[in-house]
Amino acid sequence: MPKHKPKRSNPFIDMTAMCDVSFLLLTFFILTAKMRPTETVIVDTPSSISQTKLPDAGTLTLLVSKEGQVFVDMAGQHTRRYLIEQINDRYQMGLNDEEKLRFSIAGSFGVPRANLKPWLDASPADRAKMEAPGIPIDTADINNSELATWVHMARLAQFEMKKEGKVSDEYVIVVKADKDTPYPAIQKVINTLTDINVNKFNLITNMEADPSKLEAIK
Amino acid sequence: MAEMQVAEKGGKGGKVRSKKLSTRVDLTPMVDLAFLLITFFMLTTTLSKPQIMPVVMPEKKLEDLEEFQATKESQVITLMLGANDKVYYYEGITDPKLDSTDYSAEGLRKVILDKKDRVRQIFPDKEKKDEKTGDTKKISQMNVIIKPTKDARYKNIVDAFDEMKICNVALYVLLDISKQEEEFIANPAAGLKFSIEEQAKAAVGQQ
Repeated sequence: MPKHKPKRSNPFIDMTAMCDVSFLLLTFFILTAKMRPTETVIVDTPSSISQTKLPDAGTLTLLVSKEGQVFVDMAGQHTRRYLIEQINDRYQMGLNDEEKLRFSIAGSFGVPRANLKPWLDASPADRAKMEAPGIPIDTADINNSELATWVHMARLAQFEMKKEGKVSDEYVIVVKADKDTPYPAIQKVINTLTDINVNKFNLITNMEADPSKLEAIK
Repeated sequence: MAEMQVAEKGGKGGKVRSKKLSTRVDLTPMVDLAFLLITFFMLTTTLSKPQIMPVVMPEKKLEDLEEFQATKESQVITLMLGANDKVYYYEGITDPKLDSTDYSAEGLRKVILDKKDRVRQIFPDKEKKDEKTGDTKKISQMNVIIKPTKDARYKNIVDAFDEMKICNVALYVLLDISKQEEEFIANPAAGLKFSIEEQAKAAVGQQ
């Protein structure tokens, strides 16, 4: 009786194809991933049951720190460039090309207009050390309020860019505040927004379970 | 894969024998690593997107004063968000009684749902058709006015808005608090001296 010899198959599986696929996916995710912009202050947002996600469209973020300083950040290099040129012309700030470029790639800023030039001249590491008093708000006179000017002009700039086809959407206004921020600071920001006819905006929150849905599961 | 073709030299009898080594490299650890990184990037891109809570503020115009007055007092409850996570509330506007509660499920939610039930008995829920889905939704005729005091913190406002969503309140508004109401919190026994006209003016930011 011939002994039946089981055929030894090679235990190795060819991983090349799998490796190809996984690296393809990896590349895709790396390229689509948006780096989180560096923020000047750390805010701990409160939680809510809201399920709506932040849209992908350009956002104009108003960051309110625990102490009530306001920082502004807007998406889009084109818009920022256009905006700083407008602001520079209007308020005679005397920024040069280099500084305008720096503004267009900077993140959130919270310095009065008068201090913007030295802030732009500083390196990103030095900026963190600089005093950030926040953007001044004047709730009595809207024309004198720097925050109102920034938001209004930024929206106009975005609108202009949309006309030129450089961006696809208008700004979504987002307020991001720390959960311990006192209400008067928020009130100032909200009043500024309503004064310039921004009646729709979004508050950034963390996720929290919806109790009515929890009941349904039970 | 150059390192795989190592020719063995100096073997016995000077015979150059290239040992047959498998040219295959085990790619399993590489795949492991790649998938680990994929998972990382997938999670950080989708999970890092923050939630948002849309807020719509009333326009600062005194045009809808009539509509303002058309609302019956018994439909209205005013929440005043105070210090130390406390909520003061009163119903209506003529000689109201001040009460306080907190943000827990047993506190504010009960107050709102209780008021909603009472409003429903007098003013039946209006039915509104959702144009997108075609479903009819029942909308309570209760009006909630949220007025944070200067001692409130941001979390309180978000909590109050959240409670509106949980309790399915359609009609709510965020307004600035008035002097009269601040005094009312400080001294509830003295009562609230606040008229509907003043309320309407406060709604558009004219104190």
